[in-house]
Amino acid sequence: MFKKILIANRGEIAVRIIRACRELGVKSVAVYSEVDKNALHVQMADEAVLLGGAAPRESYLNADRILQAALDTKAEAVHPGYGFLSENASFAAAVDSAKLTFIGPSADSIRAMGDKAESKIRMKAAGVPTVPGFEGLESVDEFRQAAEEIGYPVLVKAAAGGGGKGMRVVESQADLTESIEGARREALNAFGDERLLIEKYLPNAHHIEFQVFGDQHGNLIHLFERECSVQRRHQKIIEETPSPLLTPELRTQMGAAAVAAAKAVNYFNAGTIEFIVDPNTLKFYFLEMNTRLQVEHPVTELVAGLDLVQWQLRIAAGEPFPFTQSDFRQRGHAIECRVYAEDPAGGFLPSTGRLLQFIEPRGPGIRVDSGFRAGDEVTHFYDPMLAKLIVHAEDREAAIRRMQAALREFVVHGVTTNIDFMGDLLAHEDFHNGQVTTRWVETKFGWQAGEPTVEALVAAAVVELGQKSQVEGQSVEAYSPWKVASGFRN
Amino acid sequence: MKSQFNSTDIDLTSTGKGYQVVIGDKTLSVEILHSENGRLDLLLDGQRVTAFVSFDGVKRWVTIGGQTFALTKSTAGTRRAQHGHHAQDELTAPMPGQVRAVNVAEGESVTKGQTLLVLEAMKMEIRVSAPKDGRVGKLLIQQGQTVEREQVLIEIVDKLES
Repeated sequence: MFKKILIANRGEIAVRIIRACRELGVKSVAVYSEVDKNALHVQMADEAVLLGGAAPRESYLNADRILQAALDTKAEAVHPGYGFLSENASFAAAVDSAKLTFIGPSADSIRAMGDKAESKIRMKAAGVPTVPGFEGLESVDEFRQAAEEIGYPVLVKAAAGGGGKGMRVVESQADLTESIEGARREALNAFGDERLLIEKYLPNAHHIEFQVFGDQHGNLIHLFERECSVQRRHQKIIEETPSPLLTPELRTQMGAAAVAAAKAVNYFNAGTIEFIVDPNTLKFYFLEMNTRLQVEHPVTELVAGLDLVQWQLRIAAGEPFPFTQSDFRQRGHAIECRVYAEDPAGGFLPSTGRLLQFIEPRGPGIRVDSGFRAGDEVTHFYDPMLAKLIVHAEDREAAIRRMQAALREFVVHGVTTNIDFMGDLLAHEDFHNGQVTTRWVETKFGWQAGEPTVEALVAAAVVELGQKSQVEGQSVEAYSPWKVASGFRN
Repeated sequence: MKSQFNSTDIDLTSTGKGYQVVIGDKTLSVEILHSENGRLDLLLDGQRVTAFVSFDGVKRWVTIGGQTFALTKSTAGTRRAQHGHHAQDELTAPMPGQVRAVNVAEGESVTKGQTLLVLEAMKMEIRVSAPKDGRVGKLLIQQGQTVEREQVLIEIVDKLES
């Protein structure tokens, strides 16, 4: 096992990896940008190295600085987390060249799967079903012809992409040009590569993915599915496992396809094969592979009973996987809610500001993976995800009830969040019936923020009493309400 | 003590042990059991409730009964100035970011829903679209510029101006 590793990420995932390191007796090195100097991951790590300015290009995407930090601190391996450099094959290769270990798959596997166009061609060859579409088109005219052949609606997406960036649903020809330009711009900015592919858009599909895990000795298994159909802007909000849609037969078929897909690129370490499933025909299609740890990995950890991050380290260190497929069963049900700093009533626009309160729920079967505390600043530089709230219970209904109770206990002030939105979503009959598809939030849910209740207004007015007792004209610090609590009681 | 949040008047009168609250056409009793670090335990008409409250300028973040509200306090004399006419809509930046694209020019006619500007923040594109049919009045930003939250970006005026 490694003595020390560097974690090339920030936020909750950096914290998650530091926790795995502590349990394995591995020292951790955090890296950070100027605005993150007091962040949780920096404080928790054994060492921390400043990379540069707040902009990702100057810090968390700055491969040279990160490698230098690893060499300077004598770290033996680099864990990329998710996002940032995690699916950057050149970075993985650079880590290898520096005689360090990349905690993830080989650079070749990342390259093969990172290109959405090439991976589709490979999957077709491996006999894995793919969505009808075209790769390698350039002019708007070619895209127009392809779209007509496939039939609208179509999806244009970045060949180098992931995470919903550089992706557009096009309903008709009128929107095609603008969508291509927008997707190209976003793709160029996010991935430095503006190539797009086009494919049939299935508007009422489930997004179901399989966790795969392999060692460097040829063993590769899957750890079942994650149902990730609750999305907005092609980004996941709520994930769960098992999926309410899958039958045991379909699970077996898709699991076998996932293993075949991963084996086709000689995969090792943790990865995810994403499929879309048509709920009417139960036909499934390969969408893409994420060659890294997934945001929603905790639900798999709880139901499969394996610490994925610790196994990532052990596999990277060369340990063989002591398990076979038949050692795993799905135990109970797990749900994850991503708590985002965003306004679900206002087009899910990100919300920034200082966290005035941040109180996480606790209790049996409740896990919170977060990278923030009260007083921290949520800036526009990084992803607006504040925390992941994960619950585990004996069955789906119990897990839903547990999640609803936990969401009600989660208090975040200072930025608008999607907590209330997710609470109402979990109460919706379509969610209970397992009928949510990837565009359900945008086309069917139609959530509105609740009107302030009498209780809320009274509470606000009561706090004014405390304010009155303070010196007139003295400004109150924004995030420390009524320091003079004695002014309250009569 | 009178206060106003989200245009609702709330009046608290001390009763010795607690307060009588008049809010709209409702009257309730409230007793403060405990308050500490932004947490408030109240007895509202005999029911125990816990609220979390934070200050943010004129905003009050209140979580109660599993719901969170951002309430706005109104203070006498600082009522929001009304524009004399409704012919003009000012579109503001919903969050800090950078202007990626400007699709219209001053004086150009626009239709409701048309994309006027594209902002980028948190690695996402946010489209600013026309709230109504009209004409671009003033264009106050240019491509590449960094904008702050609430900054006015563009004005849309009615098409037929006399």
